[in-house]
Amino acid sequence: MKLNEYLRVILSMIELEIRRIMHDRTELYLRAVQPLLWLLVFGPIVGSFHSIPTGNIPYTDYIMPGVLAQSTTTVAIFFGLVIIWERESGILKKLVASPSPDFAIVAGRSMAAGTRALFQAVFIIPFAVLMGVKIFPNPLYLISALILVFFASSGFASLSILIASILKTRERFMGLGQVIILPMFFGSNALYPVNSMPPLLQLFASVNPMTYIVDALRGLLITGNISQLPLDIVIILIFDAVLISIASLNFKRIIE
Amino acid sequence: MDFAISVHNVSKKYGTLLALDKVNLKVEEGKLFALLGPNGAGKTTLLRILTTQFEPTSGEAFVLGRNVVTQGEELRELISYVPQEMSVWTDISGYENLLIYSKIYGLSAEERKNAIRDSLQLMDLTEAANRLVSTFSGGMIRKLELACAVMIKPKILFLDEPTIGLDPATRKTIWEKLKALNRESGTNVFFSTHYMDEAELYADEIGIINRGKLIKVASPDELKRSVSSDLVTVESSSEVSRSAASHLRKLRDVSCVESKGNTLEISTRSSEESLGAIVKSLLSDKVVIKRIATHKPSIDDAFLRYAGTKGSAQDTGRLSELKRIRERIRRG
Repeated sequence: MKLNEYLRVILSMIELEIRRIMHDRTELYLRAVQPLLWLLVFGPIVGSFHSIPTGNIPYTDYIMPGVLAQSTTTVAIFFGLVIIWERESGILKKLVASPSPDFAIVAGRSMAAGTRALFQAVFIIPFAVLMGVKIFPNPLYLISALILVFFASSGFASLSILIASILKTRERFMGLGQVIILPMFFGSNALYPVNSMPPLLQLFASVNPMTYIVDALRGLLITGNISQLPLDIVIILIFDAVLISIASLNFKRIIE
Repeated sequence: MDFAISVHNVSKKYGTLLALDKVNLKVEEGKLFALLGPNGAGKTTLLRILTTQFEPTSGEAFVLGRNVVTQGEELRELISYVPQEMSVWTDISGYENLLIYSKIYGLSAEERKNAIRDSLQLMDLTEAANRLVSTFSGGMIRKLELACAVMIKPKILFLDEPTIGLDPATRKTIWEKLKALNRESGTNVFFSTHYMDEAELYADEIGIINRGKLIKVASPDELKRSVSSDLVTVESSSEVSRSAASHLRKLRDVSCVESKGNTLEISTRSSEESLGAIVKSLLSDKVVIKRIATHKPSIDDAFLRYAGTKGSAQDTGRLSELKRIRERIRRG
């Protein structure tokens, strides 16, 4: 298997996802409701207390990257449900019997989820701007932020595929999805700075990939301070590589 | 290379359950081969080993001369597999399904165009191609799955219960198409089924499988011949005399005559050829014939003999399998 064959399978999977989104966008609309509530209700109300040290940034602006990261990774985390559906139908068996290597299937499906998450981001960012959030005025930064959303979500989708291949049923998966998302969101710098947390939670935040995603997005979209960006990117890429690898090693288990 | 498929002592264990028990099998190139057995017999397990989805616990299997364990990558380029369950994406159109599969298999842009058009045509789906698959009937979904499978021009087509839950007319069309494909391009078709009639009508060879054991492999005719001779049943208005029965035994080709009150059961090599002589002999013995019937052995009889059980009566299928069949029936 050569590199271009891997690329071919990955691109086919992304194309499949775009075609699905074109036929039915209901999920994207519905999933957009929650982040909009964070920006519309939670941000202004908590912001009005001026109790969280956000520097000179309005609170809604401060949480916008976190809300973006949370809603896009949620799309990715629940992508495992698609895999479980494909397991119950015969699609996965057919893919496993096709010439595509497991690694390309997992990477392809993960990046398909990354693509879906990107559509989500394309909803949220303009809405945030409409609400008065000041996006850092540099198109290159904005594009970088979108690329980052894509890769971060792809990593979480691999995690989701890995979980799907272990849990195998919809019900168990739904339960675990929630258990992962909320601690990751609250145990990160999405809603408050890490140094305002109790020490134990700070430790958790420092190993939580969400912290690095939010940090990178906040630099690119709001503050324009990208001094931490290289570290964030390295962490996100390691996260992706490790999870795609583990998930593809485990992939055959899902159809057994 | 003489054999499309050759399987040597293949066993598969799931925990303590022995799904396949030392299966040996050879299938010649260009053949339509049916794996016939009740639910839970091990048909799907064998198909999935041959399509490299998982490895056998012991034994070796070769498809097109390639070892399914060590040369899986090479082999997967040459085969197509249609699982028993639905295996197309329902939220895109039929055409898009073919398009994505052709891209996954790496068909070039030009090959793709022709291959998609031809396979849609072959399966009579050209008109419905741009509809969402969720609006398709069960039969159309099956045809789309087959279109995906034949599109890449495989050397062997592995089909797991290809007509399950479909109505008789659709079953017939699908088989005619598969037969034509086999005749025209020499594509091997290896399929599993629990429909006796399908195996009998469409397969060149049948392998009877039950409880993980491959019990008998033969052509449908051989199978039927091997189980029993034809049976002629005669019902008379009164008890048939011993002498009448003994006269019948002397007839050529008649192997056995059993008399039960008013009924006679006569075994013969061929009921068509012997019927005249039987009737003549009975009339000369003044037997009044009320009713006469002939019975040819069927694959059911063969199955009963070799598997020791009725094909459909023993149902050890898992719940998930049942759900899938129900799902198909609902769609159809």
